[in-house]
This record gives sequence, structure tokens and C-alpha cells, in this order.
Amino acid sequence: MSDPDSANSTDQELARLIHACAARDRQALRHLYDLMAAQMLAGMLRILKRRALAEEALQDVFVSIWQRAAQFESGRGAARIWLLAIARHRAIDVLRSERAELYREADVEQIAHAGAEGLGDWSSAGRSAAALARCFEELSGEQRRGIELAFVNGYSHADVARVTGEPLGTIKSWIRRGLASLRQCLER
Amino acid sequence: MKHDQPQLIDALAAEYVLGTLRGAARRRFERWQSAEWHIASRVRTWEGRLMPLALGLPPIAPSPAVWARIEERIRAADVARTDAARRGAARPALRALAAVLVLCAIFAGGYVAWRMTESVRLQTVATIKGAQGSAAWSIELDARRERLRAVALAGVAARPGHSFELWALPPGKAAPVSLGLLPDAGQLERVLTPAQRAALASAAQVAVSLEPPGGSPTGAPTGPVLFVAALIRA
Repeated sequence: MSDPDSANSTDQELARLIHACAARDRQALRHLYDLMAAQMLAGMLRILKRRALAEEALQDVFVSIWQRAAQFESGRGAARIWLLAIARHRAIDVLRSERAELYREADVEQIAHAGAEGLGDWSSAGRSAAALARCFEELSGEQRRGIELAFVNGYSHADVARVTGEPLGTIKSWIRRGLASLRQCLER
Repeated sequence: MKHDQPQLIDALAAEYVLGTLRGAARRRFERWQSAEWHIASRVRTWEGRLMPLALGLPPIAPSPAVWARIEERIRAADVARTDAARRGAARPALRALAAVLVLCAIFAGGYVAWRMTESVRLQTVATIKGAQGSAAWSIELDARRERLRAVALAGVAARPGHSFELWALPPGKAAPVSLGLLPDAGQLERVLTPAQRAALASAAQVAVSLEPPGGSPTGAPTGPVLFVAALIRA
């Protein structure tokens, strides 16, 4: 994955498999699952905290891929992002749903601990990751931390405020300004 | 949605992808996104920007039961869909309609056969889907692949002050070759140059870019590539 070219060829393979799913090829869905499910589950588990909940949401994701495969447009290099985005949006939706309430207990303590966990090394995962890493360097420490906590842990503004001990308004402005700076930097 | 506030839209798209847009605001934004192409496009851009953050976590293999459950669910969904289709076809009113359609088809078939003898038959080689997944243009070629016709379909979302331009994408690193402008409505037909015919012959895909009125001033795409579609081989 650290080699941009190999990341790219995998993306072509992913796009081919998505098109095959659109043609109702179940074997293609299984291949997609083999290639992507573990990566998706890692991200979803980090947001949803509970394995049973995350695995149920992962089922939703693959049923959704099966149903929406025909809508996929193979813009260049977009297959992996398309797949990861479905998983991510699903996790955020489940997080605030009634289903999640069933699993919710001692959440505040969990959040406090989870905030200390690392992010892993994403900066070497291909070309777009390298660009993002470069632009992250230009953010202030607080902006960077706010964005990472929100993205990787699925925290709301209020969750980030609780973990960092900063007022909610401050967190909102860190994140808003951080995203604006990222956009400026990535468009350069 | 306020169309005249691109910065607000971009900020909302960023917080939507980040996950900090929640509750009613999140649902409202999702409705805007599915209704308006330019909002969906901002979301795609932010997904591309932020998704690398999701790649740093070590993968976690799901339990074997997860795949078994997915298979069950897609089988059930597909069966439900086929059943619905079968039930629909069996309804008496639809059966009568089907009979009428068969008669129409016989007449239409005769008409088409008559037309084919006097005009060149065109064949659809690509269907370009718009932002919402509905067909926006049908690209057709004649049997000798000398004439190209682009037909605007329901999925075209016109962009005032811009033109849509069609490109053949040759394999490898070769530059895209312009196949001319696409109509916002109705259809455009043109005779292809030898260079365009060669490019189409080697291409596996066509793309649509957003250009200044009248098309790219440089001969290469200057605006964003909006859509890509596969070419159907004859």
C-alpha cells in the first residue's frame, strides 16, 4: 500500500469488482469483502466501540454495496474511497441510532480512554495520504487533534470537547478553521 | 439550499464527511446532496481528501458469521425483487397492456425496418450516467464508426455558462481526444475526423468534462472531469 502504483492497481481491481456486482455477480461481492471488510471493520469498530454493533453495520454496508453498485461511477482512483465512504457514513448513522442505544452503557468512560489511542500510520498509504500528511503539518496541534479525533473515533464536537477539556465553541472553531486550512493547502 | 454560498456548502460538506454534522442537520444535508449535483460533488471531493485517515488502523478480520449473514440478506433482497417483478407481470391489467405493447412493437418493428433501408443505423456505444445515477447522454455510432450522435437524456443537469465536452480516453498515458460538445437538450450529430476515429478505436472509456462555453480552448480538458463511462465494443 505504501507504493502508489500498487495502490492504484488495487483500485482498478476494486472498480472492476464493483461493476461485476452491478451485474449481480455474487462472487465479486465476496472478493470485495475479502479485500475490504477487515479495513472497514477496523474503522467502524473504532467509531462504534462495540464489536456486535460494528459487525451488524458492516453487514449493512455490503448489502448496500450490492444494491448501489450500479450507481458507482469509475472516476479515476475512486473505488476505494467510494467503498470506505459507504462504511464511514453508515457507522456515523448507526452511532446515533436507536440500535446503538441498546449497546450504550458506561460510554463516557470509554470515550475518555479511547481518546488516548493512536491513529496508526496512515501517512504512508499512497499519494493522496502523503498530500494530506503534508497539509496536516501546517495545522496547529489543536486543529489537527480535533480533526483526527472526530474522523477516526467518530466523535461529535461535544465528544471532542469532553476529551480535550476545551469549551464547545473553541472546538467548533478549531475544526472549522482546520478544515478550511486543509482545503487551502490541498488545492495548492 | 442557498446556491449562492459556495463556501457554506463546502464547509458543510467537509463537516459531513468528517462526521461532526449530526442529527437533523445531517439528514437535511443528505437530502440536499441527493437532490443537487454540485453538493454531491463537494462531498466526493472531501471524501477523497480525508479518507486516507481511515487507512492507518490495523485491519480487524470480521467473524465468519458476518459473511454468512450478508449472503442471506442479499439472497432475500434479490428474491423479493424477482417476486415483485413476477407478481407485477401477472396482473390482468398489465397483461392487457402487454398485449397492446406487443401490437405496437410489431408496427414499430415494421417502421424501423423501413427506416433502416433509407438511413444509416446508429448503435449505442456508451451511456453516460449523471450525478444521480440516471442516464444523461446516450452516445451512438454508425456501423462504420464515422458518424457520432450524442442524445441528451433525462439525467442532464445543465450548467449555465458552461459546456459539456466529450473525450475519448485512449489506454495508457496518451492524452484524451475531444469528440466535441454534448447537447444540454436534444441531440447533436457529427462526422468524426480520422484522428477522432482512431482515438475511439483504441479507447475503452469516454469522459465528460466541464468547459467554458464552446468547449476547451486548449484541445485538452481544462475543467473537472465529471463522468466516465465504458465504451461498449461492437
